[in-house]
Amino acid sequence: MQQRSSDQMSRVGRRTYLAAAGGAVAGLAGLAGCLGDGGDSTPIAEVDPMTQGVNSGTLSWDDLGDLEGEISIYSGRTPDQISGVFEALEQEYDDLTVSVDWDDNDTQVNQILEEETHPADLMYSQDPGALNALHEDGSLQELPADVLDAVPNSYQHNDGYWTGVTGRTRSIQYNSDRLDETDFDSWDELPTDITEYATDERFEDIISTRPNSGTFRGFIQAMVERKGEEETREWVRQMADDQNTHLFEGGSDQAEAINRGGDDDPIIGLGNSYYAARILNEDSDAPIRTTFTENDAGCLFSVAGVGVLDQVGDAELVAEFVRHLLAEEGQELMMEDNGEYPVVEDIEYVGPLPDLDEINPPEFDLSGFDMDLQEAGDLIEDEGMFS
Amino acid sequence: MKPLTDYLDLSQQFPLTRQQLRETDRSTAALVLSSAIVAFLVMSPMLWLVFRATEVDPARAYSLIVSSQTGWITLNSIVLMAIVMLCSILLGVPLAVLTTRTDLPYPRFWTIVAALPLVIPSYIGAIAFVGMFGSGGEIDSVLGTTIPAIDGLSGSIFIITLYTYPYVFLTTRAALLSMDSSIVDAARTLNAGPFEAFKRVTFPQIRPGIAAGALLAGLYAISDFGTPAFMGANVFTSRIYWETTGFGREYAALLALQLIAIVAVVLVIEAGIGRDEDATSSGDGEGSTIRLGNWKWPAMGFVSLLGTLTLVIPVAIFTRWLFRSEGDRIPAYEFQLEFAFNSVYLALLAALVACLFALPVAYYSGRVNSLTSRILERATYVGFAVPGVVIGLALVFLGNRMLPSLYRQGVWLLVFAYVVRFLPQAVGTIRSSVLQVDEKTIEAARTLNAGRLETFRRVTLPLIMPGVVAGSVLVFLTTMKELPVTLMLRPIGMETLVSLIWNAQDSLAYRYAAVPALLLILISGLSMLILLRQEGGKLS
Repeated sequence: MQQRSSDQMSRVGRRTYLAAAGGAVAGLAGLAGCLGDGGDSTPIAEVDPMTQGVNSGTLSWDDLGDLEGEISIYSGRTPDQISGVFEALEQEYDDLTVSVDWDDNDTQVNQILEEETHPADLMYSQDPGALNALHEDGSLQELPADVLDAVPNSYQHNDGYWTGVTGRTRSIQYNSDRLDETDFDSWDELPTDITEYATDERFEDIISTRPNSGTFRGFIQAMVERKGEEETREWVRQMADDQNTHLFEGGSDQAEAINRGGDDDPIIGLGNSYYAARILNEDSDAPIRTTFTENDAGCLFSVAGVGVLDQVGDAELVAEFVRHLLAEEGQELMMEDNGEYPVVEDIEYVGPLPDLDEINPPEFDLSGFDMDLQEAGDLIEDEGMFS
Repeated sequence: MKPLTDYLDLSQQFPLTRQQLRETDRSTAALVLSSAIVAFLVMSPMLWLVFRATEVDPARAYSLIVSSQTGWITLNSIVLMAIVMLCSILLGVPLAVLTTRTDLPYPRFWTIVAALPLVIPSYIGAIAFVGMFGSGGEIDSVLGTTIPAIDGLSGSIFIITLYTYPYVFLTTRAALLSMDSSIVDAARTLNAGPFEAFKRVTFPQIRPGIAAGALLAGLYAISDFGTPAFMGANVFTSRIYWETTGFGREYAALLALQLIAIVAVVLVIEAGIGRDEDATSSGDGEGSTIRLGNWKWPAMGFVSLLGTLTLVIPVAIFTRWLFRSEGDRIPAYEFQLEFAFNSVYLALLAALVACLFALPVAYYSGRVNSLTSRILERATYVGFAVPGVVIGLALVFLGNRMLPSLYRQGVWLLVFAYVVRFLPQAVGTIRSSVLQVDEKTIEAARTLNAGRLETFRRVTLPLIMPGVVAGSVLVFLTTMKELPVTLMLRPIGMETLVSLIWNAQDSLAYRYAAVPALLLILISGLSMLILLRQEGGKLS
């Protein structure tokens, strides 16, 4: 592919340029006499677990070492999704302070990429693509072996630079009250093949998605890998042109519009299932529902996860903190708060959504998911799916 | 319109002693130098844009710049900016005249109503509007019908105008209050009708004020990301956002530079319109009241309608959110008084620093009409036209490397970011009042042997105080509602009213957004009272 090779070349150029510029700027900063305050440069992979590693069976927080000190986190997830776990940990350990910086996931990544030294210990991200981007930039460090052993290989980085903490799926959202306005009599008539959402005329004008999201781009990457680039391009083109897909800038806006059910609002939406779960959580009578495609990119199972930044305040604390997220209480709290799936094998799913076995997400190795998000973005834009 | 190169060297116009001249040279040099430093500081983040943009592969950069996509977003952005400016003038100027020059009952109340929309972040207004009028919204569910869809480019223009026209209203109002209205009376006694008198006498005097406000409205429109994104309008900001979501910061930087190029053209054009030496006068703004008679009813109806659209609807929607059915409690969104303190503290600091930065620039460009003064003044406007996320990234890059001890520790880097974004609001209003200071007053003080600084402190500063206060209030209000820069540069763990609104709204936990949103309007409304109070006796 012509595009890719030229991109790679410009990337090499950029590195060299950055190195040169970084050197010049570092010189200036040194002159100003206030170069960073250091931090703990011990790689966390080399720090022994305080008590035992998380790979030795399903552990509870009691089995792990006490957390003491301050840990700071860049979060690309919203507080309702993960703050419950952080607060529970702070309650468990009197001497622990968790400082979180909440911002948009992509903004966080861009910010870390622009930083030379990072003021936070961890990045907690919504999607593997973002964490891969940070690793490629050299901002992440390897995780301890026991942490990597606790999570299946397909939910973590190949060389152990990030790991998934919980999982979620792409879904088909629909307004159950409005199905009678469509040519579908019941929700179980909705196709289980993502291709049909682009080709079936019955979806014209009533379908929606959100092309700027990381997971949408991830979904596109998955489709490219499974069906090839040509077919994926055709799918995007058909969605944009033939189906006149309603495009949203935010996943919440999209789910809200489906739920609201006005005449101009879409009835169907392709998006992450938890947006619907959140609305139902606020109002159990809400008409929004979800269903899933079968074994294709449309129900891609993806993870939200953490990467440890290359220089941390207290290496031992940070490593032990990540262990706590993967221990039983950590996993269960996130299932309860956010309807997410656990990534640690022996932990049973207890949330409101169908079990993963019932959904049939595609077998997909997220570790080998070398997502060049920009490329996916270009493909989407090339085919005209841009609001 | 005088050419930019038309120097007006004040020191040559008045006979001064040799000693005074030397002092003048020195203080002018200090003024130019401090203006230059301010301009350099607030322009420094743009260096990052150039640095990043040069990383784009030249072939790709070329195709990006000349693509039809870019053509469309350029056109859309210009249309957005131009129509918002025009509509803001059409709303803001009559409202300013109505509240200062007529016998409209309860002028203070109507002034607050007309100015207050500025405190509501336009994307919040957009959400409220769609929730009220959109398909499936409140009106739809009650009446079963909707007004034409508010979306796309026209929807963005509509919403942004409603929440930015107060810029024109406030600056025009300030100009009307400080102009010498005895000339209007003179014109009227010479048998000019009210309209004729307005066109020939009042308008030329308040033109710089109108232009300053319209420029702020236009630049706000072109840099606003939230509203066009929500409305699905294809403009520069939404495209810049698209690139940053793919981590294509260098493309985003390139697009931002193109945006700045457009803005530069606008700034140059406006520099011609906004300049007006005739505007020097210091009146008491009294007299020449237009009697409305029965017209006061439609006049009050008009302001009420506008206030209902811009204020009552969002407040009603927020209040409704407050009572939305309870889901699971989300402790992270629980309101804490500390968030409000943080917002106010940051906004106060930003207002203070912005005024300190603005004074030399505004004073210099208000007193000396030279190419240098115009360039330095215009330079401070650029940051206002660039989307916050771009300024944020630039300061992440620069701050993290140059001032690591300030980066995300303490609030000073964040305050500086606010100043970069909002300085022109202070520069614009202060400069308008400097323009209206009568040269003779200052010279009188000088001939009474008052030093430059003493003259400034005892004569000029009190005269331009209305502008300084107006500028501070504007910076305060906009800082209170600023989002992207706050999220990127605040000390980790520090929450503000808008960060809570944003998070709660993003998670669809609307009931938690209600209290901070209502509080934001309340606090900003109070600061508007301060603005009116200092106008004091001028409003009878």
